[in-house]
Amino acid sequence: MKKALSPAQSSGGGSKMHNLLVYLRQHWQLYVIFMLPAFLLTVIFRYIPMGGISIAFTDYNPIRGLFHSEWIGFENFKRFLSSPDFMRYLGNTLKLSVYGLLWGFPAPILLAFLLNRIMSKKTKQKIQLVLYMPNFISVIVLCGIVRILLSPTGMINSLLGTNSNFMTMPSAFRTIYIASGIWQGAGWASIIYTAALSNASKELKEAAVIDGANIFQQIKAVEWPAIKDTVLIQFIMSVGNIMSIGFEKAYALQTDMNMSTSEIISTYVYKKGLLDGDYGFSTAVGLFNTVINVILLISMNAIVKKMNDGKGI
Amino acid sequence: MAEVQLKNIKKVYPFISGEQKKSKKKKKDEPEKKKSNLQITDEGVVAVQQFSLDIKDKEFIVLVGPSGCGKSTTLRMVAGLEEISGGELIIDGKVMNDVAPKDRDIAMVFQNYALYPHMTVYDNMAFSLKLRHTPKDEIDRKVREAAEILDITQYLERKPKALSGGQRQRVAIGRAIVRAPKVMLMDEPLSNLDAKLRNEMRAEIIKLRQRIDTTFMYVTHDQTEAMTLGDRIVIMKDGYIQQIGTPQEVFNHPSNLFVAGFIGMPVMNFFDAQLEEQNGKYFVDLNGYRVELSEDKEARLKAKGVKSQAITLGVRPDHTDVAKNGVSGVVEVAEMMGSSVHLHVNSNGRDVIIIVPTQDLKESYAIGDTIHFSFNGNVAHVFSKENDKNLEF
Repeated sequence: MKKALSPAQSSGGGSKMHNLLVYLRQHWQLYVIFMLPAFLLTVIFRYIPMGGISIAFTDYNPIRGLFHSEWIGFENFKRFLSSPDFMRYLGNTLKLSVYGLLWGFPAPILLAFLLNRIMSKKTKQKIQLVLYMPNFISVIVLCGIVRILLSPTGMINSLLGTNSNFMTMPSAFRTIYIASGIWQGAGWASIIYTAALSNASKELKEAAVIDGANIFQQIKAVEWPAIKDTVLIQFIMSVGNIMSIGFEKAYALQTDMNMSTSEIISTYVYKKGLLDGDYGFSTAVGLFNTVINVILLISMNAIVKKMNDGKGI
Repeated sequence: MAEVQLKNIKKVYPFISGEQKKSKKKKKDEPEKKKSNLQITDEGVVAVQQFSLDIKDKEFIVLVGPSGCGKSTTLRMVAGLEEISGGELIIDGKVMNDVAPKDRDIAMVFQNYALYPHMTVYDNMAFSLKLRHTPKDEIDRKVREAAEILDITQYLERKPKALSGGQRQRVAIGRAIVRAPKVMLMDEPLSNLDAKLRNEMRAEIIKLRQRIDTTFMYVTHDQTEAMTLGDRIVIMKDGYIQQIGTPQEVFNHPSNLFVAGFIGMPVMNFFDAQLEEQNGKYFVDLNGYRVELSEDKEARLKAKGVKSQAITLGVRPDHTDVAKNGVSGVVEVAEMMGSSVHLHVNSNGRDVIIIVPTQDLKESYAIGDTIHFSFNGNVAHVFSKENDKNLEF
């Protein structure tokens, strides 16, 4: 019986690439069985639709179809970049993403550190259940709750003793968007960090206690190193998605009065593409968004690799 | 360096809510249950009880026993990693029950080394001193001194993952000794090492002990480690102390059947025999083979007023000799160990081990051969059938 060695284990001699090829040759059936369905699904649902990107370079007319619509090159891109609102949309998107990342990214990490401090397993499970639940609320329902809570007669105004309409305040939009996002997603996002923290050695923590480390020093010396790599990967992924804010939530929280801060690229794409039927233009805007994302992902990965002994994605 | 006193220490792990509900279903008159080797009471699961021990300044005490006997729990209570449910822990004259681990002036070496993986060896060793705001030059001096003692100076800039198991354990010991603690606690520090390295490190610990003036508490399940390292050994079972004594004492005078079976390799041979008292003299009768006990044993039995009775007789394999006359048995296995042969002999359904030194080997023993064995009265241990206690003590 052949002993299945991983490429790393079988690095007795020769180059790593050679070992990998030998390993793949030995176990090709495994890859066919497990990888082929995933590969086919990825090609069918991820790569073939990419052909639709060409719409961005045409004056697309659904009646004439993709191949018979007029080819206009980068005209749609020029139109978007020279639009007087371009900088506002880009600025709003970036601000919402960056602030969201700054506030939203550390929240689940802190939550995981707190959860890890709860000694009683049962209490921890109950708290986790409560924290995870908001994740299962639909974005539209969440926005409905937010609108009710923040309405002039809502709970927040009652608590503050005011009757402000927060949903009409452009300055409040980002806070509302980010805070509700943290409330909804931080618990769920903390799962990955809680799991990573379970790898932190109990003995190491005890050693730190005997060494005289306080809670923060224990986190720094024991828990943070245990989740650092996970945090970095998550951070790179988050930066890669910095421009891909879904339009649903922004659109659902949008009012005519807060448009100056709530109109972002994705809501603009939705309005242009689906409401105005300007498919070519909206695809160009979407593609622009994606290209920025990819650039950010690659740049951030390179920066993190430099800072983290070559470890990145 | 300090004296450590443990006075009637007890550790009970309280029930978590679900278990408590289950336990409430138990009838009032139902006796306390035993799950595996743990005692379960209304309070919870009792891990350690009636643990009293006075450790002298600079003494090396070894806690030894099988898994789950409470030895690590006891050590962790001394370290402050486990709450003490009852009794008093006194270190250097101060009651330490409620003192935080960092303020107990103790250091601990763990089985899995517990080294900070992202720090270099130097930083690992310096960590506790840095937390105590020790001046940099003093930290440097102490770390280098400890590294010198443990011969790890060349690894100071390496990270733990670049070290072997033995080197990592040296670093873990180094991290503990830089603090010059009053009490050094070691929780099975050699268990993760292979046999050869374990022997080497054992010798290192003996040397280390001579170089640093401190009190040691060492936990192991390995009786060889206990015998070679300890000034005194504390043998534990099911949360209770079975015997405290020097290695020689526990080997020569085991207080009960458990200690007799636990200490010594290969394990002591046990037989169902008869203790007979005749005119102030004591004999053991093993299937008709009669041996008079030595004078000192007789004196002790006499002093305790022990009468003739059925006993469990214990004789160590090293003290069991192949003889022309004696108890008969059939050779089942002969293990050549180099300097000796271990004969496994079936005698009346019991497996009896006899160690025959190779130099004394006059004949070869084949499987199925019937041989006879004997022993002297000064090496026979007599245990009560009722409570497994050594009748001499």
